[in-house]
Amino acid sequence: MNRDFALGGATLALAAGYYLMAATIPQSLLADAVGPQGLPKTYAVLLAGLSLILVVRSLARRRVVSTEPAVSQGRSAQRHALWRVMGMLMIGVIYILVVPSLGYILSLAGLIFATTYYQGGAVNRQVAVVAVAGAMLLWLLFVMLLGIPQPSGMWPSLL
Amino acid sequence: MIGALTTLVTTPIGPAAFAGVAWGILGGALPGISPSITMALLMPFTYGMDPTVAVVLLASTYVGAEYGGSIPAILIRTPGTNAAAATVIDGYAMKQQGKADEALGISLYSGFIGGLFGLIVLVLLTEPLSTIALAFTPTSYFALGVLGLSVIASVSGESLVKGLMAGVLGLMIATVGTDPVTGLNRFTFDSPELLSGIPPILVMVGLFAISELFVQSGEPGWEKAPRGSVRIRFPNAALWRRIALPQAIGSVMGTFEGIMPGGGGTISAFLAYNEARRWSRHKEEFGKGSPEGIAAPEAANNTVACTALVPMLSLGIPSSNSSAVLLGGFLIHGLIPGPMLFVKHPDVVSGLFAGLFAANVAMVIVGYMIMMPCIWLVSRPKPYLMAFIYALVVSGVYAIETSLFHVGLVLGFGVLGYAMRRFKVPFLPMVLGVVLGFMVESNYRRALVLSGGNHITFIQDPISVGLIGLALIFIIGSLLRHATDLRTKKSSVDSPQ
Repeated sequence: MNRDFALGGATLALAAGYYLMAATIPQSLLADAVGPQGLPKTYAVLLAGLSLILVVRSLARRRVVSTEPAVSQGRSAQRHALWRVMGMLMIGVIYILVVPSLGYILSLAGLIFATTYYQGGAVNRQVAVVAVAGAMLLWLLFVMLLGIPQPSGMWPSLL
Repeated sequence: MIGALTTLVTTPIGPAAFAGVAWGILGGALPGISPSITMALLMPFTYGMDPTVAVVLLASTYVGAEYGGSIPAILIRTPGTNAAAATVIDGYAMKQQGKADEALGISLYSGFIGGLFGLIVLVLLTEPLSTIALAFTPTSYFALGVLGLSVIASVSGESLVKGLMAGVLGLMIATVGTDPVTGLNRFTFDSPELLSGIPPILVMVGLFAISELFVQSGEPGWEKAPRGSVRIRFPNAALWRRIALPQAIGSVMGTFEGIMPGGGGTISAFLAYNEARRWSRHKEEFGKGSPEGIAAPEAANNTVACTALVPMLSLGIPSSNSSAVLLGGFLIHGLIPGPMLFVKHPDVVSGLFAGLFAANVAMVIVGYMIMMPCIWLVSRPKPYLMAFIYALVVSGVYAIETSLFHVGLVLGFGVLGYAMRRFKVPFLPMVLGVVLGFMVESNYRRALVLSGGNHITFIQDPISVGLIGLALIFIIGSLLRHATDLRTKKSSVDSPQ
């Protein structure tokens, strides 16, 4: 299964799901000739058509090439890269989950520390200092200088 | 023009231009951080600012980033931006000959010349369009949206089908929120945060900045900049005369490519390099440290920083990633680029022109002063830089509407952007779809309501006919170009020698 085939299959499924959701949008008495469903359904059909073209084209090309060793080597690198991305994503997700309770400075220091470590930095005092200093700097910039609030966490309720 | 200069003196756009240029140079100097990412990182900070100051800050960042990209290109053979790739060839060769200071001076000076030329073109081409703004009806706006979407055909890169798919996905994203005619909720999943739709800025920050962080997480660190002091030496009179022609060539190429959808700084820089070599009396020096080989691409990519704003300001159509991000900056301040911008917000337009003038002047001053901080920044360990950029993105996105939901959305678009890179699906068509989707749908349906559901209305309005005709020309031209590219590729495969 090549990339274009996978992409075409995924977008075809997306188009089908989107079409079904569009069909559930209720009709309104105020609706015009096109209606709230009109263009979403058109977009879904367009995406489905384009996805089919991609799938058919990828199937036609599939017969031509066979490069097993290169593919398996590439796959291992791809899997590694994918794990790296998942790790970075998880750092962001954990930040979103903890910031309402831990507050901005602490959570952001954690995000900077975790990202630095994950990107190949060491676990030492210097990284911890950089993480806290970075978080303080951004807090000063956003909250104190620009007046844009950031989550304060549970700390105000404890005072 | 006088109004623009008055604005420059009476408002804080001068300091904004200097700050934007400084930020742009620093961002552009970091390999992997493109001008669009540099602008996207700055955008949340502009949320509470005066709209004119905000757009000047963003546009100046674009100007600064185009120059900043040449610093690592010359010093460490790594272009900070794609557009600086052509500068690597002779810039790094000059550095190896011990002429890094001269190469940086040529780059800065040529960027300044190109930027000023581009600004003149921008002022001359955009202002006349304001005269037809009042004649625009919903029908014309729909046609304008179609013209914008037709750009997808020319910015699709290698695969037209994938470009179109990205465009349709963008249009789908634009349907989230309240229906423009009936007020019904669509695709909101009962989430109050989705009622007003997905702001284009979230899509752009996710696609450009977060996906780049994800990609960089699997890449090795970049080379360190040389230790010791590097200064900028501006060209002397003899060199000034020698690089005048390549600068002119670069400026013309930059004008043409900036205005054309999908052109952009990278193509113009390489075209300018090629033409400069063709017209040079010292062809043999190209590739071995020719000053002309730096002057032409640098003039070209800085011209593009201004001329790319012509279709964006006058028609609301972004022709490059950077102008798409700038368009996002307009939108978060309630400014809608296009014909009416000149009528409703002439102060913003004149302020932007004045700010761009200030930015080009600032580029010379700041570019001269910021060299050492730039080298320091490029030499920082990559893990620290990545972590700080990640922190800046999550903080900045939260600041837009103090919403953690938005931070989550941006991460989601980052994953989507990463997947799109892996599957070689271009970003710009999706951004175009997101930005133009609402305009296309709302004006299409309004035009039909006004005409009693009669589609003939779209060929009765002369502006609409003109714009749709232009869109057809764009599409046919792009299809022909794709067909020619395919034929060329096929013939080179059939006969490898």
